[in-house]
Amino acid sequence: MEINVRYFGQFRDFTGKREESLQVADGITVEAIREHVRGIYPKIAAKEQVLVAVNGNFGPLDQVINESDEVAFFPPVSGG
Amino acid sequence: MIKIQNKDIDVETVFESVKSPSSGGVVTFLGTVRDNAKGHNVEQMSIEVYEEMAYKQLEAIESEAQEKFGVHKIAVVHRYGDLKVGDNIVFIAVAAGHREEAFDACRYIIDELKQRVPILKKETTPEGEIWVEGEKHE
Repeated sequence: MEINVRYFGQFRDFTGKREESLQVADGITVEAIREHVRGIYPKIAAKEQVLVAVNGNFGPLDQVINESDEVAFFPPVSGG
Repeated sequence: MIKIQNKDIDVETVFESVKSPSSGGVVTFLGTVRDNAKGHNVEQMSIEVYEEMAYKQLEAIESEAQEKFGVHKIAVVHRYGDLKVGDNIVFIAVAAGHREEAFDACRYIIDELKQRVPILKKETTPEGEIWVEGEKHE
């Protein structure tokens, strides 16, 4: 299935993209899609912490992602 | 009231918006752009936000603070875009019956915001641009 993925902050610089579609296996989990993205982008792989949000929430690592979900990647946030 | 905006924060109006006759006090926090960080000078700051998620998280934090501390009214305004040293970044105002819950709720809101609201800062320094690393997410 195809998943729409968005990148924010430093990860936008690392990927050179604001978003992209990734071809992934059906039933992929948050943890697995994080590994998938780490596999594509060595600079993301080198980060100690990679945050993944699904539809605007931080879910558990075993959460299953559906085709219509919006997945976002960013480093630890720095607002305030 | 939750707002994410590019323009400057009208602190006075936001402050007035949380006051009510039943509240005995208002605690506020104003975050501004500092001219230094971790030993280097900061000339300006650029703030990026994942807006849909930021609203969702801030609304959740507002509800949690209301539930945990029983405060009356909460306002949070956060800016994005290009800011100068001294510019306002974030303003939080909490009105409550008594000071303890107002202070506790204000502290809770800024601490949670720094942990889970998808806002990312980039500093411009004499040595170049630096993305600010947030505290480790729990």
